[in-house]
Amino acid sequence: MLKPDAQREKILDLLEHAGGVTEESVRQVSKETGVPEADVWGTGKFYSLIDTPGKRTRVCDGLSCQMAGADELAKSIEDAGRACERVSCLGQCDLAVATLTEDMQLKTYTKKQTTISPDDPDLAINLAGPVDLSYSALKKAIVLGASGVIDEIEASGLQGRGGAGFPAHIKWKSVRSQPETQRYVVCNADEAEPGTFKDRETILRQPHKMLEGLAITAAMIETSEIYIYIRGEYGNEYASINRAIKEAQTQLAEFNFTVVRGHGAYICGEETALLESLEGKRGMPRLKPPFPTEAGFRGKPSLIHNVETIACVPSIIHRGGEHFKNLGRSEPGSKLYCISGHVELPGVYELPLGVTLDELVAAAGGYTGTPLAFSPGGASSGFLPISMRELPLDYKNLANAGSMMGSSGIVVLNDTVDMAQAAGWQLEFFERESCGQCAPCRIGSRYLRRQNDVYLKLGDPIAFEHADDVAWEMEEGSICGLGMVAAKPLESARKHFPDHFKTK
Amino acid sequence: MSESFKIKLDGKSVAANAGETVFEVAKRVGVDIPTLCHDSRLEPVGACRVCLVEVQGQRRLQPGCAWVVTSDMEIQTHNDRIQRHRTVLYNLYKSDHELDSTGLPLETGNGNQLRELCQTVPDMKLAPVDAARSDRPMDDNPYIQFEPDLCILCARCTRYCDEVEAVNAITLSNRGSATTIATAGQRSLIDTTCELCGGCIDTCPTGALIEKKAPKNLVQLGGTESFRSTCNFCGVGCQLDLHVHNDRVVKVTSPEPGETLNDGNLCVKGRFAYDFIHHQDRITQPLIRDFNGDLQPATWEEAIAATAKGLNQVREKYGSDSLGFISSSRCTGEENYLMQKVARAAFGTNNVHQCAAT
Repeated sequence: MLKPDAQREKILDLLEHAGGVTEESVRQVSKETGVPEADVWGTGKFYSLIDTPGKRTRVCDGLSCQMAGADELAKSIEDAGRACERVSCLGQCDLAVATLTEDMQLKTYTKKQTTISPDDPDLAINLAGPVDLSYSALKKAIVLGASGVIDEIEASGLQGRGGAGFPAHIKWKSVRSQPETQRYVVCNADEAEPGTFKDRETILRQPHKMLEGLAITAAMIETSEIYIYIRGEYGNEYASINRAIKEAQTQLAEFNFTVVRGHGAYICGEETALLESLEGKRGMPRLKPPFPTEAGFRGKPSLIHNVETIACVPSIIHRGGEHFKNLGRSEPGSKLYCISGHVELPGVYELPLGVTLDELVAAAGGYTGTPLAFSPGGASSGFLPISMRELPLDYKNLANAGSMMGSSGIVVLNDTVDMAQAAGWQLEFFERESCGQCAPCRIGSRYLRRQNDVYLKLGDPIAFEHADDVAWEMEEGSICGLGMVAAKPLESARKHFPDHFKTK
Repeated sequence: MSESFKIKLDGKSVAANAGETVFEVAKRVGVDIPTLCHDSRLEPVGACRVCLVEVQGQRRLQPGCAWVVTSDMEIQTHNDRIQRHRTVLYNLYKSDHELDSTGLPLETGNGNQLRELCQTVPDMKLAPVDAARSDRPMDDNPYIQFEPDLCILCARCTRYCDEVEAVNAITLSNRGSATTIATAGQRSLIDTTCELCGGCIDTCPTGALIEKKAPKNLVQLGGTESFRSTCNFCGVGCQLDLHVHNDRVVKVTSPEPGETLNDGNLCVKGRFAYDFIHHQDRITQPLIRDFNGDLQPATWEEAIAATAKGLNQVREKYGSDSLGFISSSRCTGEENYLMQKVARAAFGTNNVHQCAAT
């Protein structure tokens, strides 16, 4: 039971500052914050950037980095006698293989060029466009008032770009309808879905679109409190946000921005786990209801949006919802598509929502080798066969195909890849990143990864005898979205690539 | 008076009150919804997933322990979907659990509710997942043993330690399949804020937490006979159940939460300090000193008569207020009441005190 004056929200930063979780650091942090020692210990031990002290090189084992030779790189680091840790996706899939040095600096080993869409003022985010410091959309929004702004958001058809695709205006309305007037805006910049690096580019190139979007959102739900939760591995991006807040301090004078760094946990991209983490707890998702719009950060109504969703807002205000809607093809808006893996020019491309894989890859310089499969929306979306290259990459069509739009982190795999191996990499990711709270996900993700390992070793599909039942239960029984999709890579690979799972 | 309405539980109309959970309503009307992580003293967390039910209008199964009913809600607690869910879930738990030679979850002296649940579904014989879950091998506390391979991570122990005892000695630690129950620095419980109340043992549904002092194979030995008694270490009057095997107390537990004033809780003395019962030095009958000053066995009648005689002699010689009565803090409220009655009514003095009063 926490003492009323305990400062729980500080403990993770203090632990990181102290160099990670040790008996001594935990004692100190407990003393300083009034949070019981065991709680400090258990919370710190949840997060991979602070759970074990000591310097080491972190080598990404996301899908694109694996395909680019992450195993060999890690081995060469170990062979050189240096400590090395394999970590989940670092959000640099276009620059694979990615590492964080012992001093937590990004170092990549790419042999390819990476790029973004060229400047086009029509696009909602327009990564390559000029930086606009006027904050005129904020001024316009304040003149329009909440109902006017929300009407435009509704007309724009803006869907949550973090993965769920939930209509944005419904959340805004829900927060506004709460009797509680202490409210929060929370920006989810915990970009960690393997294959995804669009928020990274947005923060680095157009941070003011994000800040302006946040300010507009805050003004509309009548709060000044804005929290940005950014993954701890994003050092340059963290600096970019802080720099931008400083640059626009006059325009943003009425808002209080707090930028909080994560400490190494993919699950904190799940909105309620993110809230737990903001509150200085283990990032274990909450039961819903209540939804964050009713009881979110500190138990107060909170409006949580992904970076990209928020960054679309200024454009919608400037040019109207209808204009944004028409930027899309099968669904509203332009969309940041990340593409990496076996393509010539990996990068972030802003295209009409609903383009096909072939169109996207055409923008990205074409396929490398003979394409076999693609993962359309991060590890959570599983794999689709290249025969579905004509499918519009949007929320509805991908869901109907048994996959998902997710974070639109698209990875192309060519015919040099063993799909059982690729499924294994993704399963390993989910096993490592499962929070451990509920059994279907905690045990199921480990069970499937081990059975896939058994198959890779022995070549006997009997290893998958119970895989369908376990996958079904993970989707039915898990608390949050991670557990619900953690079996997807294996399920979809077995479904679409039966030849890769035969008796060997 | 809270609002009442009807809901449909497995097709039958039943009365429910606003604020009640599906689990509470079902329990009240005698419909069994299994659960492992639920303890009525704790905030529901819905983590074990055992109590998932179908709520009409909800795409996903929902935890009965946390789902609050509303008027006209329709709930299914049994159907093919729920049965498949339970079958795979229990089998997953089994693949992450120490099993006995029959392939069922191992049963310690405190039973194992997971074992009972597993007997209700077919055995899928899932390969063990062999989770790397650490324990505390250096924990030399004398009372509480943690067996990580019997732990299902329902967190009842850590939540009990936090929400009921406000002690926060233990925590969930690590992540994913390596999640375990830990202390800060994995220190012995003795070196933490732990008060060794043993409430974590009581709330653990699978016997992953057990009394170090109790025989490990209590169930296999044929179980114990239970006797309700009042703790005599202080005057609170906690009720306890003495578990007797072969005429010896081998374990002490609290009655179920909600049954008695201690609401399922005990302290370190009540739960663990029972060795005196069978101690060779324990005085089990009245003793009176003989002319040589040696203690000799006597009957209660003789002892009470001797005491009364001695006290009366003092009173007659020096007056009532020359007497003083002090009772022990181990006496119950009723015993203390009788003590002051003896002092005032029988001997006519207000010189009466109880050692815990100051």
